[in-house]
Amino acid sequence: MSRRNIADQLEGVERIREETRICRKYGIDYTVEKGRTMRLVNLLHPQALRLKVGTVIRETKSAATLRMAPVDGYLPPFQAGQYINLFVEIDGVRTSRPYSISSAPHQTGFYDITVRRVENGFVSDYLLDGVGPGDEFESSGPSGNFHYNPLFHEKHMVCLAGGSGVTPFMSMIREVTDRGLDREITLLYGNRREDDIIFHSEMKDRASRFGNFVYRPVISEPSKTCSELTGFINADLIRSVLNDLGSKTFYICGPSQMYEFCIPELEKLGIPKNKVRREMFGQPQDITAEPGWPREVEASTEFKVSVRGGKTLRARAGESLLAALERAGVVVPSLCRCGECSMCRIKLVSGKVFQPRGVLLRQSDREFGYIHSCAAYPLSDLKIML
Amino acid sequence: MSGFDAIVIGAGNGGLTAAATLAKGGAKTLLLERHNVPGGCATSFCRGRFEFEVALHQLSGMGDASFPGPLRSVLHGLDVLDRVEFVSMKNLYRLTIPGRLDITLPADRNGTVEALTKRFPAEGKRIKEFYDLVYEFFNQLISVIYMRDPEASSEKYPLYFKYAMASSQDLLDEYFNDPLLKASVAAYWGYMGLPPRYLSFSDLAALIFAYIEFKPYHIRNGSQALSNALIEKFTENGGEVRFNCGAQKIELENGAVSAVVTERGERIPTGCVVANISTPVLYNELIGVEESPKEKYEEMSGRTIGPSSFTLYIGMDCTPAELGIEETTNFIGAHDDFNHAFSQLRDIDEPAMILVSCFNVSDPGASPEGTCQIAVVDLQYLEPWLSIPPSRYAEEKYRYAAKVLDLVERVFPGFRSHIEEIEISTPITHVRYLGHPGGAFYGFDQHIKDSRLINPPVQPISGLFHAGAWAAGGGFQPTLASGASTGRAALKHLGMRGR
Repeated sequence: MSRRNIADQLEGVERIREETRICRKYGIDYTVEKGRTMRLVNLLHPQALRLKVGTVIRETKSAATLRMAPVDGYLPPFQAGQYINLFVEIDGVRTSRPYSISSAPHQTGFYDITVRRVENGFVSDYLLDGVGPGDEFESSGPSGNFHYNPLFHEKHMVCLAGGSGVTPFMSMIREVTDRGLDREITLLYGNRREDDIIFHSEMKDRASRFGNFVYRPVISEPSKTCSELTGFINADLIRSVLNDLGSKTFYICGPSQMYEFCIPELEKLGIPKNKVRREMFGQPQDITAEPGWPREVEASTEFKVSVRGGKTLRARAGESLLAALERAGVVVPSLCRCGECSMCRIKLVSGKVFQPRGVLLRQSDREFGYIHSCAAYPLSDLKIML
Repeated sequence: MSGFDAIVIGAGNGGLTAAATLAKGGAKTLLLERHNVPGGCATSFCRGRFEFEVALHQLSGMGDASFPGPLRSVLHGLDVLDRVEFVSMKNLYRLTIPGRLDITLPADRNGTVEALTKRFPAEGKRIKEFYDLVYEFFNQLISVIYMRDPEASSEKYPLYFKYAMASSQDLLDEYFNDPLLKASVAAYWGYMGLPPRYLSFSDLAALIFAYIEFKPYHIRNGSQALSNALIEKFTENGGEVRFNCGAQKIELENGAVSAVVTERGERIPTGCVVANISTPVLYNELIGVEESPKEKYEEMSGRTIGPSSFTLYIGMDCTPAELGIEETTNFIGAHDDFNHAFSQLRDIDEPAMILVSCFNVSDPGASPEGTCQIAVVDLQYLEPWLSIPPSRYAEEKYRYAAKVLDLVERVFPGFRSHIEEIEISTPITHVRYLGHPGGAFYGFDQHIKDSRLINPPVQPISGLFHAGAWAAGGGFQPTLASGASTGRAALKHLGMRGR
């Protein structure tokens, strides 16, 4: 019996067929669906943003804030603590860097990013010295999960910042104080010297005006006249600032050495794991200093990298594969550039790479030979597949 | 640019098995995927020390090596069984309606009948008769539909011809009185996204039969492991995959497929395309409204877009036992009226029915020792989420998530205090990652009228094939199977028989 004949003999089939006729008669014209939903979704998650520098605010001698407005007049909302990945083209090389947004989420007219000079920083040098009002950039939409989450974070957040790691906290502090939110923030902000402190006068001012914000800079190489806390943000110092360690969530943002130092200090204080949040490990300044790096390989050692169906290029052991690919003009999408988000995932067909701590690789990606190119450093000649 | 025998657009479950089938069959195949990872829904992501499974809860149709189910056969045919490890579950689910019902059904026919009879002794006789009916009906369905008995008739297969067009509610009402019993039997409605009054009895019977006979399964390291294995096999067989490269256009010549243009603007000639994307996007965007056959829009016009979900991916700092979680699959209903619960999928007020999956119960390696991984799913339509102004979106997400967690807490008290990581996805998240209208991972609603028997799909463009949820219905087994069968049809079109 044919399918059609079977269908004809099913009990109740006429009623069901009638339903189809009625549904089609009063049905939906799906041609209007074209592009509609994506337009709405793009209000929250645009694929890319065009940003134009309005003003450059000098914060310290080594840091400045770029205040950037949207070229097309709209900025998607973000949660205080999130970052954008800013694309730059320097000497013909297109690369990118993630920057936390330091302005507050309720400031919808612009995003501030605050850049501090990194030693030998290809991109930070360019942004601090070569960029001015009117310059345009492309960026990702706001991303990241280093932000307050009312589902399981305590209302009292204790922020441990180091250097430029203060930027996500600046956004949170502005939001909580400006909007009068029912939350408390204590900021312990570590710097080498007093004049390294970014946002110092604004922090002091807000701390004096708002009872729910406590600001304590911590200076490790204090001048003779320094009146701030001195030393490092260790267990004793944290205990001395906080009356009580309970009912608080701790947030850490700074260079990777800071996570290594502060997380054990919090453990000493008996802070449970789910009360400690840390921002991503940044790209290491010197990968050869990372634990586990094979001593026999020098940063300057060059290897051959062949892209399946594409170019062959030279890559230095001391530079991430992503950076080497970008230098050779090979486009690989990227977002966090810290080994966590998986945007720059590629397949390692053959060869060996070094993957530093903090890389979040899926279990099955590890088994099937996928790597995150932003956090993979060549240790031999490589064959890869994009 | 030299061409390909076939181009597969989209590396979701259906695209992956279609591509793997084509490459194995000897077709020179290109797989295009707009994301950097294969799998579509069948993927995972990392947060802190957890890797979260995105979509798979209970894999159906697997069976074990001695009694293989249809999905195991499909995966065996694609040579990926030795690269992925499957973990079986001993129970179907625990269903709790706080204060009123708490029942666990084993993945065993007699065991299920016994568990139900113990809880609803007055209806014991009818419970046994119902499961007898499910089995007898489904065996007849297999003969008529899958085995294609040429002498099928209403005399030979009376139950099939009588109930094929019935709704689940029709049968639940015919057999049972207690609404809690009806709820206990029909808890799987969420896996189809339709409540008992719309869900065909055929589909409910298929769910019950397949999960009991072949047991529910989980994949070690999550569904990404299967997606990765399929890509591996595909490339080993000569297939070429391009990630971060979506398709922008399917070009036609004299009503037949002639080329695919990628979003990078590259035009690649081919006579065969397998699309693993939503039907509206396929015709509106890739073929183009003008070029698309009118009958395709006519067919679509009678259909409605299915639900998406609000999902919480949670990493817990304790073991399942510490939370009192004993089952992998826990349904929690705020009430027993699943038909009303379905209406509530269009509202972001109170969750009506949620699924709490704790993979560590059946796979202790699902997260680091001393922790567990949990996914809480609440089906939701997209519309209410689109009505939230972007500036209030995050706040609304947290507000609703708190309500969902309140419902979890009613069965697992103390749950919230153990959260170490949590990520929320909404229907908007699913639109963003899948590109489907409605974020509808099950595709169109699968009403009784939408059965392929009643409305066989029209495919008026020569060389164009469609695989996945929008073509064959949602879920892992249907989409994986649909890709394999579509791949075979494409091979036939290419004059290749396959190996």
